[in-house]
Amino acid sequence: MSLFRAAGLTAGYGPVTVLQGIDLEVNEGEIVVMLGANGAGKTTTMRAISGVIPRQGTIEFQGNSIAKSAPDQIVRAGIAQVPQGRGTFPELSVEDNLRAGAFVRRDSAGVAADIHKWFGVFPRLGERRDQRAGSLSGGEQQMVAIARALMSHPKLLLCDEPSLGLAPLITQELFEVIGNLNKEDGLSVLLVEQNANLAMHLASRVYLLETGTIVAQGSAEELSADDSIRKAYLGF
Amino acid sequence: MDLFLQRLFDGLSDGSVYALLALGIVIIYRGTGHLNFAQGEMALFCTYVVYQLGEWGIPLVPALLLGMLVGFALGVTTEVALVRPVAKKSTFAVFIVTIGLFQGLNWLDGAIWGDQVLPNSAVSKQQQFPSLFPNKATDFWNIFGAGVRIESVGIFAMVMVLTGLLFLLFNKTKVGLAMNSVASNPESARLVGIPTNRVLSFSWGLAAAIGALGGVVFAGQNHTVNMSMMFGVFIYASAAATLGGFDSPGGAVLGGLILGVIQNMVAGYADVWVGQQMKIGVAFVVIVGVLLVKPSGLFGTSKVERV
Repeated sequence: MSLFRAAGLTAGYGPVTVLQGIDLEVNEGEIVVMLGANGAGKTTTMRAISGVIPRQGTIEFQGNSIAKSAPDQIVRAGIAQVPQGRGTFPELSVEDNLRAGAFVRRDSAGVAADIHKWFGVFPRLGERRDQRAGSLSGGEQQMVAIARALMSHPKLLLCDEPSLGLAPLITQELFEVIGNLNKEDGLSVLLVEQNANLAMHLASRVYLLETGTIVAQGSAEELSADDSIRKAYLGF
Repeated sequence: MDLFLQRLFDGLSDGSVYALLALGIVIIYRGTGHLNFAQGEMALFCTYVVYQLGEWGIPLVPALLLGMLVGFALGVTTEVALVRPVAKKSTFAVFIVTIGLFQGLNWLDGAIWGDQVLPNSAVSKQQQFPSLFPNKATDFWNIFGAGVRIESVGIFAMVMVLTGLLFLLFNKTKVGLAMNSVASNPESARLVGIPTNRVLSFSWGLAAAIGALGGVVFAGQNHTVNMSMMFGVFIYASAAATLGGFDSPGGAVLGGLILGVIQNMVAGYADVWVGQQMKIGVAFVVIVGVLLVKPSGLFGTSKVERV
């Protein structure tokens, strides 16, 4: 069943149009991976969906249009984003980062229980709960960013290049967490990646983005079978 | 010793005013990265409003609260109508807008309340600007032989209470969490659903309301309100914010107090060299000194990120 659907999504910065009208769909329980090189428009896609930049086109979430919604309404509707490159609040403590992630919620007891839960999933964050997030390692900051996004109880998680600048082992660990969330909690995920080997293992479906246009889509197997795609994006 | 204590408390009392204005500067700066050049003039406008309410027979404390409310509205309006439209262009544009506001508000004060010292005490006594605390020549406490003015102690205590309340606001409430998040990473703040525009409006309102309190306290200390009285205070407040760190509310308060004390000590003990007329030079020495030695101030964070 379709959870999220965008059609003719166009967005950019000032006079520059980056996204040239893309169609995109995430079904319930899917992990959809969007591959693309630097500058293809992956981050722009994420920011357009979250509503932090102006965008045109159809965007539907659970059957409702969110094309005109403000960022806070989109979070309330159930879409949360893990921004690119450690989008934490570096000056705030780890715990306050998670608390900020629950800004749209009103049940303080539930929020406290969730923070406790995430410190169980990421014990290293629990040990550093009072430290400033900016003082954490890259992988730990990415954990903060993921836990923070999940504090709002999203149904769709947008992950913008979680592997950026991380050691392969740490990336693998993060992807395992995302995979588990998908399997156990039925969380749907739209994951954007540049280096795609690991991401392909998770993916239910894959989109290929080039200069603001979707040039190929299909299952992970279908795209890995294509020689040119394999060479360009998978490196083998 | 007695002179020292007296100068200490006078310094803390002067410094309290700088602290209040510096708090306003810092609250706006950390939220938006903008330096509000009109902080002093916004405070002055509100002080005139309080003066006017007094003229209409409203007692000082309710008049002050109304004045702070006017300040809050003025701050919010400024952010929505003047700052937000140009903020997208550049930070420098906002700076220019606040300079324009500085002049505009000063002109407005002059148009409404006249370009003259109020009160003209030779003409009418009831135009005096009242103080929140007893401040007649006889109102002092004798502490270790020092005559410490009750007003000085009262103002200092009030600023400490306000600082405590702000500490609670910033660290224990959801509004504070939102303000800290916006200050730390505006894009991420939007991504977790914090309505950043409303947070910024609130910051401007809060800053102007605190500034209004500063203006009223300062006018009370001097028994008068006039059109140029905030010029010097704004310079001191900027120095206090520089000293404490432009993104640290606690640093702004401490910076203001330290500056007030230094300034009174220097003017008192080195009166041949500096004296009352030249003590504003102390502010410049502090600004330049801090910028040379520790540009982020005593408690400010220099932006360092691990990558």
